Amino acid sequence: MKLKLKTVFVLYFMVSLLGLVYALMQLGQRCDCSEHDLPKDRTISRLRGELHRLQEQMRKSDVTKQPQKQPAKPTIFVITPTYARLVQKAELTRLSQTFLHVPQLHWIVVEDSPHKTPLVTDLLVKSGLTYTHLHMPTAKDRKLQEGDPRDNQQGVIYFADDDNTYSLQIFEEMRSTQRVSVWPVGLVGGMKYERPVVEGGKVVRFHTGWRPSRPFPMDMAGFAVSLKLVLANPEACFDGEAPMGFLESSFLQGLVTMDELEPKADNCSKVLVWHTRTEKPKMKREEALQAQGLGSDRAVEV
Amino acid sequence: MPKRRDILAIVLIVLPWTLLITVWHQSAIAPLLAIRKACHHLVKEIFIIPERLAVRHHRLSDDGVEGKREAGGQAQDSKEYCASDKDIVEVVRTEYVYTRPPPWSDVLPTIHIITPTYSRPVQKAELTRLANTFLHVPNLHWILVEDSQRRTPLVTRLLRETGLNFTHLNVETPRNYKLRGEARDPRIPRGTMQRNLALRWLRETFNANSSQAGIVYFADDDNTYSLELFEEMRSTRKVSVWPVAFVGGLRYESPKVNAAGKVYGWKTVFDPHRPFAIDMAGFAINLRLILFKPQAYFKLRGVKGGYQESSLLRELVTLNDLEPKAANCTKILVWHTRTEKPVLVNEGKKGFTDPNVEI
Repeated sequence: MKLKLKTVFVLYFMVSLLGLVYALMQLGQRCDCSEHDLPKDRTISRLRGELHRLQEQMRKSDVTKQPQKQPAKPTIFVITPTYARLVQKAELTRLSQTFLHVPQLHWIVVEDSPHKTPLVTDLLVKSGLTYTHLHMPTAKDRKLQEGDPRDNQQGVIYFADDDNTYSLQIFEEMRSTQRVSVWPVGLVGGMKYERPVVEGGKVVRFHTGWRPSRPFPMDMAGFAVSLKLVLANPEACFDGEAPMGFLESSFLQGLVTMDELEPKADNCSKVLVWHTRTEKPKMKREEALQAQGLGSDRAVEV
Repeated sequence: MPKRRDILAIVLIVLPWTLLITVWHQSAIAPLLAIRKACHHLVKEIFIIPERLAVRHHRLSDDGVEGKREAGGQAQDSKEYCASDKDIVEVVRTEYVYTRPPPWSDVLPTIHIITPTYSRPVQKAELTRLANTFLHVPNLHWILVEDSQRRTPLVTRLLRETGLNFTHLNVETPRNYKLRGEARDPRIPRGTMQRNLALRWLRETFNANSSQAGIVYFADDDNTYSLELFEEMRSTRKVSVWPVAFVGGLRYESPKVNAAGKVYGWKTVFDPHRPFAIDMAGFAINLRLILFKPQAYFKLRGVKGGYQESSLLRELVTLNDLEPKAANCTKILVWHTRTEKPVLVNEGKKGFTDPNVEI
């Protein structure tokens, strides 16, 4: 039988076409992937499973809950002055970790420096918080304007130093401030805690071991002021010339009387904020190395 | 002279094969790309869950039964689980949620954090801010070991109120009765017995054969930890290391890493010839390794200052096995901060403030 070239070609062509069609069909199918079972595939299927499970839960909980339009919570404006020193980044880091738990919080960081430092700038950007970054000397006046709060915006202002420790409850306590609210502060004034003494729901005096004759013998961390009050008293500010311990009084005197103070933290019986201070790290070896020109890499931010 | 017929024949042969080859090639590559994208997308989505979800969680009880956790969560970095060649993890928070803690994932290895603690005025403050940090970390199990005869109500209440997944243990360091007062035996480095107890608890609770992935980290209650650190340590296979700030009298101490990504020494001034010249906060150990070497503990006595960490690590791993993290040990993610002892002069001898108020 004569094998025509034409036949060969046609045969070859048909086989190729069939093979191509077969391959294209295979594309859409699930393959037997036992030899390709990459760990990534496994991770993905587990993640998918988890995602579906969590979405199911969401659907279930959505069905049971009524959709409520919750009234906007008052924003807490936390004012933190800070200055460059070795522990600054650590302090601001753990402070931001606390603040991230508090809803409707606006962090106003005021640097004691002629320019905004990259350390603080980067930290704030990465923090995930709503913030305003200020620096001296414009800060003193700016602080009372509070950026862009509208007149009818509800808010509370709190002065939070960067080395103190704050529990999450204190922020919820201060949110309901109408004028000025107060509460105990731990580890301050040379005592385990300082606190306002409350009788009949009103502050009658202050329990403190240090200069109790001050008009408002309490620490910066022991009170919060409503935004409305501050905006209504634009001339109220901290007197930088005031003697030690009178800073808080210089500010509050123009705003409120003792009678008007609102006691929080269970009638001022619980300590929800502590005036901790961080030790200055010992740098003897670092200084010795630097004298030899072998100090640690300055490019590494601490 | 090529005839039209021949050309047609050649085209008819070549065309299907080229088509086949290109299509097949594409189909092999495309799934891999899809995997990468899918992985990223899924990990991100799992952790972005609106706050409408109710918070319910079980705690890891002493018998080691792990419950499922369902809660609102936070966005997490997805690069961790989708790429093995990453050198730094960026924690991207795309949507923050205020219910706490984050939902428990079946995929992420658990980080077991061992914290020894003892009663002093700043204890509650330290534990509070530590808890505020830990509440951001998914799949975290806090093992808090008190240096006391009994578990104190202060710590018990605090742990319960945080909502964290915890185990509360206690063991008292024997007091040196030769010295007057509450001074503990100075020959035993502080926290050692507590850390050893936690290690023993882990070994009694977890089975070496189980597939529960875990990482063990020793976290003192006065240090400061960035959230990135916990994601760096999650991928530990044996022991991972990174720099620590404010130790050894330097801005930071760090392992020396060569170009091949291996640790070959220690950049410290204080006794750099220690087997492991690293601070307690500078390393993490895979749980499997702890379970695999059940005899490895911190040495209690006869340990020179600074050799505590070495006493444990040398029984677990060699220098070559160490995995450098934090961008090949060039970033600081943990600070060895110390809190000042508060001045309590105004309390006087009898105590001025009401002792019933807990601080």
